[in-house]
Amino acid sequence: MVINVKNLVKRYGDLIALDHFNLEVQEGEILGLLGPNGSGKTTAINCILSLLKYDKGTIEIYDQPMSPDAYDIKRNIGVVMQNVAVFNELTVYENIDYFCGLYVSDKQTRKKLVAEAIDFVGLNDFKKFYPKKLSGGLLRRLNIACGIAHRPKLIILDEPTVAVDPQSRNNILEGILELNRQGATIIYTSHYMEEVEQICSRIAIMDKGKIIAMGTNEDLKKMIKSGEHISLELLNPENLDLTEIQALSHIISAELTDHQLVVKSSRGKNNLIAILDHLKDQNIAIGKIYSEPPTLNDVFLEITGKELRD
Amino acid sequence: MQVYKAFFKVIQKNRGQILIYLVVFMVLALLLSSTYNPPQDTDFTKVKVNIAFINNDGDSQLVDGLKIYLGENANLVDVPDDTQKLQDALFFRQVEYILRVPAGFTEAMLSGQDVQLEKTTVPDSTSNIYMDLLINKYLNTVKTYTTYLPGLNQTDLNQYLKTDLAKQSEVTMISNGTHSAYAEKSGYYFNFLSYSTFAILILGVCSVMLVFNDTDLKRRNLCSPIRSTNMNFQMILGNVSFAVLTWLVLISASFVMYGSFMFTATGLLLLLNSFVFTLAALSISYLIGNLVKSRGAMSAVANVFALGTSFISGVFVPQALLGANVLTIASFTPTYWYVKANNEITAAVNFNADNLQSIFTSMILVLAFGVAVLGVTLVLIKQRRVEA
Repeated sequence: MVINVKNLVKRYGDLIALDHFNLEVQEGEILGLLGPNGSGKTTAINCILSLLKYDKGTIEIYDQPMSPDAYDIKRNIGVVMQNVAVFNELTVYENIDYFCGLYVSDKQTRKKLVAEAIDFVGLNDFKKFYPKKLSGGLLRRLNIACGIAHRPKLIILDEPTVAVDPQSRNNILEGILELNRQGATIIYTSHYMEEVEQICSRIAIMDKGKIIAMGTNEDLKKMIKSGEHISLELLNPENLDLTEIQALSHIISAELTDHQLVVKSSRGKNNLIAILDHLKDQNIAIGKIYSEPPTLNDVFLEITGKELRD
Repeated sequence: MQVYKAFFKVIQKNRGQILIYLVVFMVLALLLSSTYNPPQDTDFTKVKVNIAFINNDGDSQLVDGLKIYLGENANLVDVPDDTQKLQDALFFRQVEYILRVPAGFTEAMLSGQDVQLEKTTVPDSTSNIYMDLLINKYLNTVKTYTTYLPGLNQTDLNQYLKTDLAKQSEVTMISNGTHSAYAEKSGYYFNFLSYSTFAILILGVCSVMLVFNDTDLKRRNLCSPIRSTNMNFQMILGNVSFAVLTWLVLISASFVMYGSFMFTATGLLLLLNSFVFTLAALSISYLIGNLVKSRGAMSAVANVFALGTSFISGVFVPQALLGANVLTIASFTPTYWYVKANNEITAAVNFNADNLQSIFTSMILVLAFGVAVLGVTLVLIKQRRVEA
């Protein structure tokens, strides 16, 4: 096991940031820590990295207790912080070389690793640029390169795509998948459910310092009643009797706004066909139809009663 | 040595501001040192004061004797005995001193009574003190003779006075060594060096500490396998290297200007004193670097601290001209003791146990400042680590 966290408790005065937090990370997986802002993701990561003292619990990494002096463990960890942590006074190359040099002392090996990291994040054309000259996306890439240049076995990425444009975000996510393919175990924290769904092999949903649900994307969605979201554009909605739609089997809720009918159904076959048949019987013409599977937001909503992005 | 290398890269990136102080120092030090002329006490020439002598006592040998005696040491200017004209003469500086001999002066003096001469002088004139001394000397000599030789006639008295007052003492200057012309100039240069040393070290050290104390970078460094002792060692090595480099650059001009003088005892003591001061300044800069939170504050502190301590400690204005209260406050800064040691080094024509003890006491005090401030800084750093 790569990481084993048991009963972790972290308090800030009366506020409990981590409430008996448990986490197991297996070798080779990408574990997503998903939760709204303030749910305890970064606190958990900081405790795991021994950047924060905690009140109770144990943390083991590669079966060794983690502590500020556990230098042999730290050697195998790559960290990409939520805030970009680079030297504004050093160029892109010098920054990556600096952070790589904290782990790798041999100059020749380091030169090779730095070149690979620059290539990996696609900063070849910006090697001599100072961070202040880089765009937000490029800066995030530099931040990642600084964290992974020494080829760590475990990479912890804390919201690495905050304030990044969609194109750069996709590049970053592709890069993370590539690192995983190369053998790295990854912990990825985010409050963007789409990202977590896209890259994580296992997802832990956090709220109020606890993991409230954990499993694969599919496992999590199976935990809830919601099956799909069906949206229909009605051309003559005045003929619609909403109670009849709500009375159909597997229908959880139905709402009509202007010409838009939104129906939430539970897991079941032919939900859409049943609705369409009913509308046809009522002589209601249909414009457009959309059907979406449940999202992690639905999972979060159903478990906690609030939106993931509250 | 990643941290050590990064230290100098940060310094290099901030070199613009540091170079400004360096260039300004070099230019000012060169200009001031080359134009500074220390006072030459060997070039004294006697200057005679213009005085007016008004006699209301009538002719007497005693008054004539006084007039002749004063005439030998001052220029007697004829001014009519008219109040308006006498006032004008003083106002237009025709005379600086008006002496009026009152009626009955001779008789009173010969009978041993106390007599007062009337004087009118230009306000705040230093020459009137000199005239007072001459007149007192004459009157006291007369009094001595009239007291111990009562009944002495005026002719004999005048003769005795003439002989006595003509006597002069010969003064021979005895020196144990020669005082180099470079001594005072170099003292001025080294005093001024303290200002630049402080400003450059505060700017350099603070700019690095601001970067390394940035919360995100600090946390990122803490995630790495580099030991905190190793990290601190590299930081201290970087700071000391920077300070020594700054010192070497700042003293280099002294070798250009004063050449072989810098290898004399005076020159070497000045160098040693400046090195000790550099270490203390580094220690204070390190404390400031751990306290300031922004670049704006850094520049402000560098200016205020370097200029402030320099002003009150006698870098720009000699300590002898500063008030006692100012010097008392200044004595709580290392700059004061550094300047004091510099002044003592350059004033000494030779070195003996007495003046060396005073010089080294000042140096030890400067070093003590450095050690004390370093101690406070280390406690502060440890305290912050515990709080984190």
